[in-house]
Amino acid sequence: MAARKKTRTRKARVVSKADKEFISEAEEILERMRLDLADLSDQRAAGEEVDPELVNRLFRSAHSLKGLANLFGFDPVQNLAHHLEDVLDGLRLGRVLLSVAVVDVVDRTASLFAKLLSAVGDTAAIEAMSEAVQALIAEIELAKQPVETQAEEFATLDIEASLLRALTEYEEHRLRENLRRGRNILLVDATFEIISFEEGLSELTTAIREIGEVLSTLPAPGESSKAQICFSLLVASDLTSTEVDARFEFPDTTVRSVAAARNPAPAAAGKSVSTSVSEPIATVDPPDGAAPATSNDAPQIQPPDPREFESLKSISDTVRVDIRKLDELMNLVGELVIQRSALGDLVSRLHGDPATARIGSDFGKVHKALDGKLRELQSAVLEVRMVPLRQVFEKVSRVVRRLRVELEKDVRLELCGADTELDKLIVEELIDPLMHIVRNALDHGIESPNERSEKGKDPQGCIKIDAFQRGNHVVIAVSDDGRGIDRERLRAKAEAKGVIEPGDVLTDKENLDLIFAPGVSTRDEVTEISGRGVGMDVVRHNLAPLGGVVDVDSEPGQGTTISMTLPITLAIIRSVLVAVADQRFAIPLNTVQETLSIDPEQIQRSEDREILNHRGDALLLLRLSDAFGLAGLSRDEKSFVVVLGMGDSRIGLIVDRLEGQQDTVIKPIQGPIPTIRGIAGATELGDQYPVLVLDVSALLDDALHRKEAA
Amino acid sequence: MSEAPTPNETGGWETLAREAACRLESGGDLSELQQFLTFRLDGAFYAVPVERVREIVRIRPITPVPRLPAEVLGVISLRGEIVEVVDLRRRLGLEPTEPARRSRIIVVHGGDGSIAGLLVDGVTEVLSVDESDLRAASGDAVESLCVRGDEFVSLLDLNRVLEIDGNQ
Repeated sequence: MAARKKTRTRKARVVSKADKEFISEAEEILERMRLDLADLSDQRAAGEEVDPELVNRLFRSAHSLKGLANLFGFDPVQNLAHHLEDVLDGLRLGRVLLSVAVVDVVDRTASLFAKLLSAVGDTAAIEAMSEAVQALIAEIELAKQPVETQAEEFATLDIEASLLRALTEYEEHRLRENLRRGRNILLVDATFEIISFEEGLSELTTAIREIGEVLSTLPAPGESSKAQICFSLLVASDLTSTEVDARFEFPDTTVRSVAAARNPAPAAAGKSVSTSVSEPIATVDPPDGAAPATSNDAPQIQPPDPREFESLKSISDTVRVDIRKLDELMNLVGELVIQRSALGDLVSRLHGDPATARIGSDFGKVHKALDGKLRELQSAVLEVRMVPLRQVFEKVSRVVRRLRVELEKDVRLELCGADTELDKLIVEELIDPLMHIVRNALDHGIESPNERSEKGKDPQGCIKIDAFQRGNHVVIAVSDDGRGIDRERLRAKAEAKGVIEPGDVLTDKENLDLIFAPGVSTRDEVTEISGRGVGMDVVRHNLAPLGGVVDVDSEPGQGTTISMTLPITLAIIRSVLVAVADQRFAIPLNTVQETLSIDPEQIQRSEDREILNHRGDALLLLRLSDAFGLAGLSRDEKSFVVVLGMGDSRIGLIVDRLEGQQDTVIKPIQGPIPTIRGIAGATELGDQYPVLVLDVSALLDDALHRKEAA
Repeated sequence: MSEAPTPNETGGWETLAREAACRLESGGDLSELQQFLTFRLDGAFYAVPVERVREIVRIRPITPVPRLPAEVLGVISLRGEIVEVVDLRRRLGLEPTEPARRSRIIVVHGGDGSIAGLLVDGVTEVLSVDESDLRAASGDAVESLCVRGDEFVSLLDLNRVLEIDGNQ
């Protein structure tokens, strides 16, 4: 189908092994960046304080990406990453204001990275993007809004000037930021044995992180014995120094207040007032004189920064596998399953003959055990292909963030069920339809804030994506609280397109379902956001080959819900489609050796059987119309032969027409008679008719052993 | 119930059926009042236990399946599941007809965890039946008769309905 074709051609470009390595590593970095970016944007939108560690991580990601691009000589990425790193560094140090514009431009940079990565190996495409790269770099520079530096307020802090001077620009920024937020600033002095200080310091840092933020870790050259080393940790916390001190059980550690919280915690109530009071609340003298000395020499030993260890440890323990390799694995398992059913036939033949009944029963047991293991293997392979929807959701939220700015709509995106797992391939094919639905909701569904206010609705619209598992399916429902679908308009449009006649009586559901009719779109004017010449019919059409369906539900004035139901897994098998009379059948491609077009004169007879001279060999022919009791073409018309082979046996299956190849998902048939000789299951193609999949092994067996159809 | 109201939407029935199924699953007490989904077939009324009904769908394209007895019309696709549709008229020995506008496919739970479709002339209502309203029946697939005004509704034994000999 169209979507499938697209993914295949995308892989046509020449990608060297080194390029692949680069892409794979860069994609990992990019993925992390996007997740962090999404969190950052959410925190901003929710009006929360932005976690400084997020900005740090983003900065580090940009830095790694730059280094990687440099290593592989991939200039456009390196150039872009350099500017991104720059603006993120500014954010990190508080030099650049964390504005909507900055978040947006960083967001778009991440998208451009993705595009660049997908074009690696295609010089022309990269060339074509260079203008976009330059434009974005210019935008990045523009977005850098400097922060007006306020008057220095550090003077009120009860802290040694030398300590303040030793702070880096970033640490200063964090100190300022925490003061602005009115948190307690504490100084934690700690003394460690020099042989084990790394461990001790890391433990202390971890403990402090539970109650606040470590602003700076500075070695304090005290008068301690030579075997010991002192550190001063500048800490911001919501707890007071007394509370922190009571919590800590570290030996040789003291806590004192540098600046008390402006909104003091109940325990410290009354002690401090609205201004930063620099009154030490609980000062405990260092037991061994390890107080920070007033030395002007900036210490030369750099303390180990635990954050650096973190970044080294972040090498993931996952293995990246090309999805095509998994497909191959899947196909192999599929073939094993077919072989298994051939074995099953053998078992029943052995059973049937009294002379071999005993060995048949033993064989049967082995077959059964094999069967069980094969099922396990099948589900294990399927398991590997499963990925959570998280990444898709993340992509959607990026698009929504961008669109709500473009469309000037105030929309909140709620995501539920990000951990729901789906086959990787379904997830890939799902992205476009899902994006389309979300765009529709934003563009057509959600009203402008003014319109919403007039209607007495919350000016902020809401789009909710809810994913959950239901049996063997996953349901992804996109709901908005917008204006709903205008049935009259939809109907009028469908009438104009000739989908329905003016007099037709429709139920409400049938009326709503018109949205899936080709060429029917609820808006007359084409917008750039959702009117790209495709409509909901394309969504339905794209999901059909996956065995997915789309349903719509809408309440005028209240909103619309569009739900997609998809199978959790796919066992995709390439099939040859053939037709007899007006019915189509699918034949798994791995059983098809070749297809021939034959004239009636070529068919020879031997007794009551038809044979074909096929390169000197006698190929036994079987008419599918005979095997299935269908009214096929008459015997003196030109027809087609599909040469089927499994193991050593071959037959030629005569069909009326060949209708090309297609990826198919074989589904079991449910009902009172689930097993039908010669039919392995059914598959869905674009239309609503299920197409039966032939059980080639059974057909071969029947034809070669002259068994009549049951 | 001479002129039973025809639902213009199947959603209502579906909801009722689901609710009943949920009650059953949660071990609800159904001892005195049983609920049945009634439908028309060749001018008479039939019913199946509501908790066996998964959903009711409109007629949709049916792919004929070779080598199946005539009672099984073929398969439909139901949100990715491939389900056989039993022509209930044929199954009960009635005169087969072409599906009409009011025809529906009732998707029922089979005994073995699978599902099956039953083609009926039209769905009418959900009937609450008291044990005392039931009369014994001696039909092939009819378990009992239920008095409804002066008409009888035949309650089907689904397990027997779905017992179709594949080797016709």
